Amino acid sequence: MRFLIAWVRMAEALSYGVGRMAMWLLFALMGVMLYGAIARATMTPPIWTDEMAQFLLMGYFMLGGAYALQMGSAVRMDLLYSTWSDRTRAAVDAVTILTLFVYLGVLLWGGIESTQYALEFDERRRGLWRPYMWPIKMVMVAGILLMILQCSAFLIRDLARAAGRPLPLPDRETRRGA
Amino acid sequence: MAAADIALLMFGTMLVLMLTGQRMFGVIGFVAVVAAIWLWGDRGGHDLAFSQAFKVMGWFPLITLPMFIFMGYVLSESRLADDLYRMFHVWFGPVPGGLAIGTILLMVLISAMNGLSVAGMAIGATIALPELLKRGYDKRMVTGVIQAGSSLGILIPPSVVMVLYAMIARQPVSQLWLAGILPGLMMAGLFIAYIWLRCRINPALGPVIDAEELARVTRAEKYRLLLAGLLPLGIFAVMMIPFLMGYTRLVESSVIGALAALAASVIKGRMTWAVLETCTVRTLAISCMFLWIILAALAFGAVFDGLRAVDFVRALFIEDLGLNRWYILILMQLSFIIMGMFLDDTAMLVIVAPLYVPIVGMLEFDLIWYGVLYTITCQIAYMTPPFGYNLFLMRAMAPPEVSLSDIYRSIGPFVAVMILGLALIMAFPQIALWLPQTLNVR
Repeated sequence: MRFLIAWVRMAEALSYGVGRMAMWLLFALMGVMLYGAIARATMTPPIWTDEMAQFLLMGYFMLGGAYALQMGSAVRMDLLYSTWSDRTRAAVDAVTILTLFVYLGVLLWGGIESTQYALEFDERRRGLWRPYMWPIKMVMVAGILLMILQCSAFLIRDLARAAGRPLPLPDRETRRGA
Repeated sequence: MAAADIALLMFGTMLVLMLTGQRMFGVIGFVAVVAAIWLWGDRGGHDLAFSQAFKVMGWFPLITLPMFIFMGYVLSESRLADDLYRMFHVWFGPVPGGLAIGTILLMVLISAMNGLSVAGMAIGATIALPELLKRGYDKRMVTGVIQAGSSLGILIPPSVVMVLYAMIARQPVSQLWLAGILPGLMMAGLFIAYIWLRCRINPALGPVIDAEELARVTRAEKYRLLLAGLLPLGIFAVMMIPFLMGYTRLVESSVIGALAALAASVIKGRMTWAVLETCTVRTLAISCMFLWIILAALAFGAVFDGLRAVDFVRALFIEDLGLNRWYILILMQLSFIIMGMFLDDTAMLVIVAPLYVPIVGMLEFDLIWYGVLYTITCQIAYMTPPFGYNLFLMRAMAPPEVSLSDIYRSIGPFVAVMILGLALIMAFPQIALWLPQTLNVR
């Protein structure tokens, strides 16, 4: 039991920490796009800004995904869900969260294979800049792993709630998202 | 098992799982990966989900998504819209129903500065709604006003929904945005006409502000407030003009818009570190919510693509039913509304649009025009149960005296007005197409 609580705490802290950093990538993205636009107008058009922006956006979504999930931002069809008691919701969630594990697990499987391929063959993106592809693929794999970790925390919390002994919320306020 | 049966089975399984209330992206992704492995497990079917996720990186205009969402949050969190609300309050207060009419106009301005309906909802529910209730406005009417008004956010440019449609239908975003302007204004006009008529018939629904209160506002103050209206116009202009003139690309304009909103809030002294942090966190939450639904829905759509679902949808609509092209179009819109009861509209767009868009093109309808029709259908879906973003937000943000049944009942007349608007644009495509054809920019 103590191990499970420690696990939940670790998983949530990790998702939170990484997500908190990833959310500022928004401004890096703005900077890169703006630099690209100014450079194109005044000097030679840079060849790396568009792809860099795409990598940053992917990193933003992937590394921030687990934190967003933690904040409860994922939409649910709540026609029936909203009418159930908290314990019923937790019990149903604890079963249906399997769907997330399956989806994310298959995503991870494909991601690891794709990253291995990129490393083995020094895969590069087509175009002028020709960046290597393995770094962004590794970031995606890391993001998917974080999502799985966050889902494992959800599962433990759901089971505890279903059993009528909900785990304490983290000290900081993590649920203030939209 | 025939391909059509597999597709139906997938769709059915997804809807049933959806009813359990599990997070939607998980349900959609689950059905997609299980089907992919079952169908093509021997040929790398497990790879489909990740390769679709990876494909999203090539969707360059997706960068606008967090930008426009951030812009909306800056606007609502830094309370930049307070002055705007005051402006409409003072200028429209003396007219029966005027504050509600002013709120619609406020929503039009806010829509021109953000890509979704969240900012409009937040501003409407926190600033306008309490004021309107305090003045004795009918709570059902004003709740509807705010939900309907804020839904204009996806029709009036910049619009995130249109960016997504443009990526899927391979149409230029600029044309779509231009096409959304007149229908958006027309829709606002129809809302205003409805409010005005109802308040004329029953003045108790929207009492005028008393003269004593108005007398306290000096003439100078009145004109000073008018200046507040310049702010959204300014932000809209620095964002849209360079884009329409071809100096900047769409994504760069979205960055300019986000930075302009940020700069305005800093200059007005409304931006604190806490506010910036809130905006950034919420932008992440909403953007990721959208992205994960897109990723899962793309995997689902890729399986449909592999099954060649578009062929049998076409066969069904064109050969089997043998209908006139207008009936087919209306049937498609109806199917959107019915599916909108189970699926959120982003997932619906990603899964269904690739099936419908080729057919719409084949029937020789304009795909830009169809994008506008789709967006209005989305607006309706935003407001109608069981799945409406605006409905969710309203439930979360409404003051206690507005009950759930008030919220549900408030939307009826506005949905009817929207359906009227939709019918008008179907009957007269030029309402949408005149502006993009006249300006003819790319």
